[in-house]
Amino acid sequence: MSETRPDAPPRVLVIGCGNILCGDDAAGPVAVRRMWDLGLPPAVRCADGGTGGMDVAFQMRGVPKVVLIDACSSGSEPGTLFEVPGREVEQLPPLAGINLHAFRWDHALAFARWLLKADYPTDVTAYLIEVEQTKIGAPLSPRVDAAVDRLVRRLLTQLGDGAV
Amino acid sequence: MTSTILPPNTKRISPLGRVEGDLDLNIKVDDGVVTDAWTEASMFRGFEIILKGKDPQAGLIVTPRICGICGGSHLYKAVYALDTAWRTHVPHSATLVRNIAQACETLQSIPRWFYALFAIDLTNKNYARSPYYAEAVKRFAPFVGTSYEPGVTLSGKPVEVYAIFGGQWPHSSFMIPGGVMCAPTLSDVTRSISILEFWKREWLEKQWLGCSIERWLANKTWADVLAWADENDAQRNSDCGLFLRMSLDIGLDKFGKGCGAFLATGTYFQPELYERPTVEGRNAALINRSGVYDGAEFHDFDQANVREDITHSHYKGSSLLHPWDGVTEPIDPLEGAKQGKYSWAKSPRYLVPGKGQIPLEAGPLSRQVIAGRPGAAKHQDYDPLFLDAIRTVGPSVLVRVMARMHEACKYYNLARRWLGELDLHDKFYTKPTEHAEGKGFGSTEAARGSLSDWIIIKNGKIENYQVVTPTAWNIGPLDGKNVHGPMEQSFIGARIADPADPVEVGHVARSFDSCLVCTVHTYDAKSGRELARFKIGEGAR
Repeated sequence: MSETRPDAPPRVLVIGCGNILCGDDAAGPVAVRRMWDLGLPPAVRCADGGTGGMDVAFQMRGVPKVVLIDACSSGSEPGTLFEVPGREVEQLPPLAGINLHAFRWDHALAFARWLLKADYPTDVTAYLIEVEQTKIGAPLSPRVDAAVDRLVRRLLTQLGDGAV
Repeated sequence: MTSTILPPNTKRISPLGRVEGDLDLNIKVDDGVVTDAWTEASMFRGFEIILKGKDPQAGLIVTPRICGICGGSHLYKAVYALDTAWRTHVPHSATLVRNIAQACETLQSIPRWFYALFAIDLTNKNYARSPYYAEAVKRFAPFVGTSYEPGVTLSGKPVEVYAIFGGQWPHSSFMIPGGVMCAPTLSDVTRSISILEFWKREWLEKQWLGCSIERWLANKTWADVLAWADENDAQRNSDCGLFLRMSLDIGLDKFGKGCGAFLATGTYFQPELYERPTVEGRNAALINRSGVYDGAEFHDFDQANVREDITHSHYKGSSLLHPWDGVTEPIDPLEGAKQGKYSWAKSPRYLVPGKGQIPLEAGPLSRQVIAGRPGAAKHQDYDPLFLDAIRTVGPSVLVRVMARMHEACKYYNLARRWLGELDLHDKFYTKPTEHAEGKGFGSTEAARGSLSDWIIIKNGKIENYQVVTPTAWNIGPLDGKNVHGPMEQSFIGARIADPADPVEVGHVARSFDSCLVCTVHTYDAKSGRELARFKIGEGAR
């Protein structure tokens, strides 16, 4: 498949969310950087969503498939990977008390459905990586670092095969 | 004093809360009027500690991650801190690109803040008796309001321009000492112009103003603004016209005064005057000027007069240090509480000759007050409107909001002009000498106020790095002389209609657009009983 115009929406958009200053919360942004370094399949684009929650929604316009990568804290073994269908976790932020800083990707998904309407992706999947620590200034923990690699390889294979 | 809001980790699989920091606010209410207030930043942020010992350029990567909303502003001041420390050369067009990016980030923030954060409170049931209430609900109700939707949707446009030059927004690091990491093409420039013109036409003129930018900017006094709102139906029925009329009806012009003294460190450089950035040459090269207004007189801004007071902050000791000498030695907040400390925010203060160290409000109102100072150079902004506003009606929630919205017109005009001045054949980068020793100061005006970095480089590494944010200027706690910070002072005097739902307090907090999630605890002064406890979402850093 040949590359489309540089400003045309890609076929797949991978968005890494999280704060690189906070230990394992960096998993999302680090994952999209590693994918970029390894070479993206055609028509796949990466975005660093960082902590700008609402803008994650703007980036999804017109993209059929969106993959979100984020850290999570569920009490599971650190480095555990979760795959969650977007529809299951969409929720609008509380109306009283909307806050641009606590605007998380589950809010971003619901917000994007409202914002983009017909241009909302038909397929949204979130991959979550269980954290060990989120200490300010700390690097990725070894188990989370390994989980990021596992996820990056898995996604590159899947997206490269066009299996998604 | 109060409990921290914890990240919402209760669901089985839950995304983490981000590093933003929470604000707990304690207010004392006596016969329905706020009589005292304390702001408590309840999360520790140790960016200064992260940066110590790192490569001097680490600030360009780390500080834009402090915030997901004004990361570009963090980058802008971080790069100037290094430019001054390394004594770089910044090409003409690189300065223009930096200016354009900084302005576009602020343009994005204006409608997003108004519709997603501020205007929601106008639909509070407290105002049901206002004749404007039904219209406010129709327009400003979250997600379904007729103005909310286009306002929020169109707010995303200006940062598309940032991303064209910066590669991405948020969290770009494309400004580097000696210039920027891009070489714009003609199509980048024409796309940027069309994006900004679309934003101006569809939101700023059509929805917010109901008139042209030029007509709005012809307002030079507060009386002009009031007359403007009655001039014709388009203006009267615009979002701005409705907001003005409703605010006067519900009394947003009556409270939220603050400390009455203002700071702008200024922003945007006239390229030919700042090709060799220095700390000393900064004021003269600014387009939007720096300055201090103490309520009676203007003073030139001098970074040497800034201090951070930690008497009531959870840090060791009670020092009052200049940021170059600043130390960040956190202590256990339980230990801090025993010493009368109650916040993780430091209290920035400014030495005004004859007045000592005083708190200063930062933000759009401060910038616009400073813009009213006579004596602007030819390349500098002179705008008397908001100096007149605070002298005639006084600072208030209403005036603070209007100052923020006013800047949409001014920053649009600037960004549009700079796009036209870009010389695509110019250089965008001059490779600097990476001096092993140096001292730098970089500052800008983020959407929500003055934002500055002070850096000391020794042996090629960061020896000291201090970030002073607009939020610290505004929400800092009591200082060593027990003088309240600007936001604390703003709450005092507010009349609370319903202590179980003190929307007035939300208005004050949001008018500053501080970065923090707010938990408000209202205490009855007589019984000491806690009357209400609820969360208020806040704007940005």
